[in-house]
Amino acid sequence: MAQPDSSSLAEVLDRVLDKGIVVDAFARISLVGIEILTVEARVVVASVDTFLHYAEEIAKIEQAELTARATPEAEV
Amino acid sequence: MSLYIQHRNLRYARGLQYRLAWGDRGVSEHVYAYGVLEQQELSLTVDGVEGATDLYTIDYKGLSVAVTDIDTNDVERTDENVQAHDDVLQTILDHDGGRTVVPMSFGMAFKNARTLKGVVRGARRAFRKALNDIEGTVELGVKLVSTGEEPADLAGIREALSAMAMNETDDDLFSDRLLLNRSYLVDREDRDEFGAVIDDIEAEYGDDVVVKYTGPFAPYSFVDIQIGAEGR
Repeated sequence: MAQPDSSSLAEVLDRVLDKGIVVDAFARISLVGIEILTVEARVVVASVDTFLHYAEEIAKIEQAELTARATPEAEV
Repeated sequence: MSLYIQHRNLRYARGLQYRLAWGDRGVSEHVYAYGVLEQQELSLTVDGVEGATDLYTIDYKGLSVAVTDIDTNDVERTDENVQAHDDVLQTILDHDGGRTVVPMSFGMAFKNARTLKGVVRGARRAFRKALNDIEGTVELGVKLVSTGEEPADLAGIREALSAMAMNETDDDLFSDRLLLNRSYLVDREDRDEFGAVIDDIEAEYGDDVVVKYTGPFAPYSFVDIQIGAEGR
């Protein structure tokens, strides 16, 4: 089984210098209030769990609509 | 340190008492942050940035930030420090069956625990979402370097790698010889299978390409959170 090489400095540099969580120097030395802290989070990945959860919810809604249409007289 | 200063500055004196009680962590209260985890007990001996060895957490409402003490806010970007940053994250990644960690970029030193908690308070939702998104994953790097002929089935190779990954970055083909260069977000449980795909590529195209397989990294390439202060 191929094992990844964990020791390449070039590979580490590619990642650690500008990726991940970046906090502005001012925010790291001052106790800034929550109201002036700016947080920009770009969605990089939607987890499979989240997707499945949405899919499940949508399926439920569709099922409910189908059921309602098929049996309009059904008591709720 | 003279008693005179302790009398003059009660807050400083409290800090000093804390340090006396917990062993000497130096005069500075600065902390260097490696990454954000679900709140948990985490106390490790590491080879950290600027030679720090005691990793501990600063906790705030369900989140833990893994830190070591440091005596400055400006961390020197030496090869040793950069490597240490990543080594600590790899240690956390592998700790006790594996932990999920949202990595900090290099150099995130905070003035003290309070300023760090202030940032966590403000960015809590973003951290929480990132943690959920990368739960149970690691980042793996794959480079395919051409030795001459392009392998016949590059599309097939891409497909096989993608099938084992939850997400992937775009290619960064900074050289003509690079056929593929990207990071993959892989579930821990699929790591062996991902490695098997690498084996297959080497077995089938070993004459045509050199495979560089690296990691595991904390998912740096799949976390993009920028925190600033307004009005600056």
